[in-house]
Amino acid sequence: MEKFIFRIHRYDGTTKWVQEYQFPYEENKTVLWALTKIKDEIDPTLNFTSACRHAICGSCGVRINGTSYLGCKTPLDEIIETFDSKMLTFEPLKNYDVIRDLVIDWKPKMKKLKLVKPWLIPTEEGSVEKGFKQTEQEFSKIASPTDCILCGVCTSECGQLNVNDGVYLDPFILNKAYRFALDSRDGSSNEHIQPVLDNELWKCIHCMQCVTNCPKGIPLTDQIAYLRKTTMKMGAKDNQGARHAYAFYDDVKKVGRLNEMMLPIKTDGMVKTIGKRVPMAARMVYKGKINPLHMPKKVNGIEGIRKIYKYAQEVSK
Amino acid sequence: MLAYDVVVVGAGGAGMMAALSASEDESLKVACISKIFPTRSHTGAAQGGINAAMGYRDSTDSPEKHFKDTVKGSDFLADQDAVEFFTTKMPEVISELDYYGVPFSRDGNGNIAQRPFGGASSPRTCYSADKTGHVILHSIYEQCLKKEVDFFDEWFLLSLVVEDSSFTGLVVMNIKTGEIVPIKAKSVVIATGGFGRIYWNRTTNALNMTGDGTAACFNIGIPLKDPEFVQFHPTGLASTGVLLSEACRGEGGYLLNKDGERFMARYAPEKMELGPRDLVSRSIETEIKEGRGFGEGMDSYVLMDLRHLGKKKIMERLPQVRELAMEFEGVDMLEEPVPIRPSCHYMMGGIHVINPETLSTQIEGIHAAGECACVSLHGANRLGGNSVADVVLFGKYAGIGARETAHRRSYGSETKLNQEAQVWNKKFETIRNKKTGKNIVDIRNKMAQTMWDNVGIFRKEEEMATALKEINQLIKDYKDTYIGDPAVRYNMAFVNYVEIGNLLDLAKGVVMAALNRKESRGSHSRGDYQTRDDANFLAHTLVHKRENDDYELEYIQVKITKYQPEERKY
Repeated sequence: MEKFIFRIHRYDGTTKWVQEYQFPYEENKTVLWALTKIKDEIDPTLNFTSACRHAICGSCGVRINGTSYLGCKTPLDEIIETFDSKMLTFEPLKNYDVIRDLVIDWKPKMKKLKLVKPWLIPTEEGSVEKGFKQTEQEFSKIASPTDCILCGVCTSECGQLNVNDGVYLDPFILNKAYRFALDSRDGSSNEHIQPVLDNELWKCIHCMQCVTNCPKGIPLTDQIAYLRKTTMKMGAKDNQGARHAYAFYDDVKKVGRLNEMMLPIKTDGMVKTIGKRVPMAARMVYKGKINPLHMPKKVNGIEGIRKIYKYAQEVSK
Repeated sequence: MLAYDVVVVGAGGAGMMAALSASEDESLKVACISKIFPTRSHTGAAQGGINAAMGYRDSTDSPEKHFKDTVKGSDFLADQDAVEFFTTKMPEVISELDYYGVPFSRDGNGNIAQRPFGGASSPRTCYSADKTGHVILHSIYEQCLKKEVDFFDEWFLLSLVVEDSSFTGLVVMNIKTGEIVPIKAKSVVIATGGFGRIYWNRTTNALNMTGDGTAACFNIGIPLKDPEFVQFHPTGLASTGVLLSEACRGEGGYLLNKDGERFMARYAPEKMELGPRDLVSRSIETEIKEGRGFGEGMDSYVLMDLRHLGKKKIMERLPQVRELAMEFEGVDMLEEPVPIRPSCHYMMGGIHVINPETLSTQIEGIHAAGECACVSLHGANRLGGNSVADVVLFGKYAGIGARETAHRRSYGSETKLNQEAQVWNKKFETIRNKKTGKNIVDIRNKMAQTMWDNVGIFRKEEEMATALKEINQLIKDYKDTYIGDPAVRYNMAFVNYVEIGNLLDLAKGVVMAALNRKESRGSHSRGDYQTRDDANFLAHTLVHKRENDDYELEYIQVKITKYQPEERKY
């Protein structure tokens, strides 16, 4: 008989252990079905959260073999195919405090969420009595970001949060800031965006894991790019992130490729670079990884690259 | 002891609207308790929309027409003073939600878009694509964050406490720590949602829709009103019971039997698929019964066909619904019709509310709003789009009512609150350490099976009598259950145990009220009494739980102000 073997990371508040459950394979079932089956029929001490069963309440995020999923909408057959095995390891979502077993704590995240003023700051054009006018186009801008169900999959997958000290904002928080910054009914975009900038906006490493795994398909990294651009328009050009972006922009426009020797200097300034990067750079020179005397020449077809720049500028108008 | 002027139990649309409006008065301390994180609440599952006579799409629409439609939809069992209050105030609440940032879909003039819905004489259902409840829930939560409402997430209501016939507070469990604590309160708003889980898996309801607040009120003597009226949504996905929005019918979807026939022509020749939910559900079940469905027995179904709407319309108006059908039924509605069958969706009945403008109950200090309550707005059958409307509007007014009550009252005695907390502490300890007894999951499944088989869409005396006997037995069995988890911290097995106790108490109320209503009205459809009987049953059922746990039925008058009962035809 084919069977599932689930290895579930357990935690009771003090002790952690891994518990194995075996039960017969059934086709066309979801991850949540399996967890519910274990609780109902095998082990009532197993805890996880779930509610709506159809991907709108956001309760049942869980990690399987290191990747985060929303349990109710994830077919087990797909998981089996992905990992080529019916033996699966379950863990709670990453980058959260764990309460028990697969149950995580949302409270600290809500404190963090409040930083971006996650509520509409209405313009004077609307009123509580009459509401607002908004065009279909304006609505369509906020249609996708308001799909977010706060399931936490993006947080769990975030490459920056994995190494961050806790200041960097979770992707769903950036989404919230974006959603209000873009709402035609909101009169204070800056109040949502400034806290994003103040909390390490530029540290997103564009690993795309949030976008890849978001069960609602929200283009989070596009939004982060938008937020970055907007902060530059707001005048915040003289920070590490913006300087880093300009270094890429200028080099590629000029010669079609990056000047890696100049990149840290343009990003961090001469003094900081000498203090922070010279020892490592020296080791890299010594190992033959970089050549300090190499000045990249214009690539063939640089005109084409400049055309792309021009085109992109026209499009973004 | 924790003390709050106003405590709201439940953080769905009704609970958070109540918390928000109670917080308007900054002199009051307001808490909002919820057994789950607020945005997990079931309001979020509402897809199709929220009714209000804005008149944007049809300038001839009016609160008066909305009033009339709701009364007719209710099969004349709704209290008309409540309905009129509701339909008159709804347009204001929509503007308020807009001002809170709810991302509504828009029409060409920049107004909130409206769509047709079952049982409505005008297209008055405001919507945000097919995630209306979701965006409303999140927007209200955002407003609560702004107002700094004191949230107690994952705190579970165990009981309400009344001492010398005066409400003094509640006893709750902090699920995260397992602590059981009393909270003193001057007033409380119960907003804990419905109890569709009496049918366990055969419902569109979330796993936690277990009527905790309704049961808590019932246990302290507030009667259960009209519990026999259970709405079965016509279009649950065939294999899981998950909801496929009424927006599918609203946008022009066809219901087809196995002969490819639009069978609604037989039952509602004018309205066709846009008939009210009770009628459409019965029509589907009749098709299946008479051999014109697909599949066999429990696996029977009919089809919802949307292909003729075209890709553009489906992708624009029903994107999430399409995804749902793909993920949970494996069908792409652009290519194929979707197998559907009715699924328990909504409880028209609930906590007996006596004043529709303050949402107060017969016990001073206790208010109730949303699906847990019975105002009665929906009577014997709720119209689609009237429930999100119900939660936001009556949630708001319950908050205002509770605020005013809190000003009138002072904190009561702590004696019984402490005793009650002790009782629960002891119970928690006993139950979690119990090693043998009846299996709680079996009890739950047996309850659901008998409710579906015997107190479902079509009802008969003998079948319901069987159900009553079985439920009574299960209530006995329940006293000797074990849950199998001795932990204190986050013991969901214990929470589930209390929830199932609540469901059993309420299921018994449903069966008794259904047995005794010897007529067919709205969602309550009896094979042995096939017509409406206004002479004997134009009345609300009240189920009382007496001291010795006996149930007693009483009937009270329906408030009829404008519309005299007439034959209900679509």
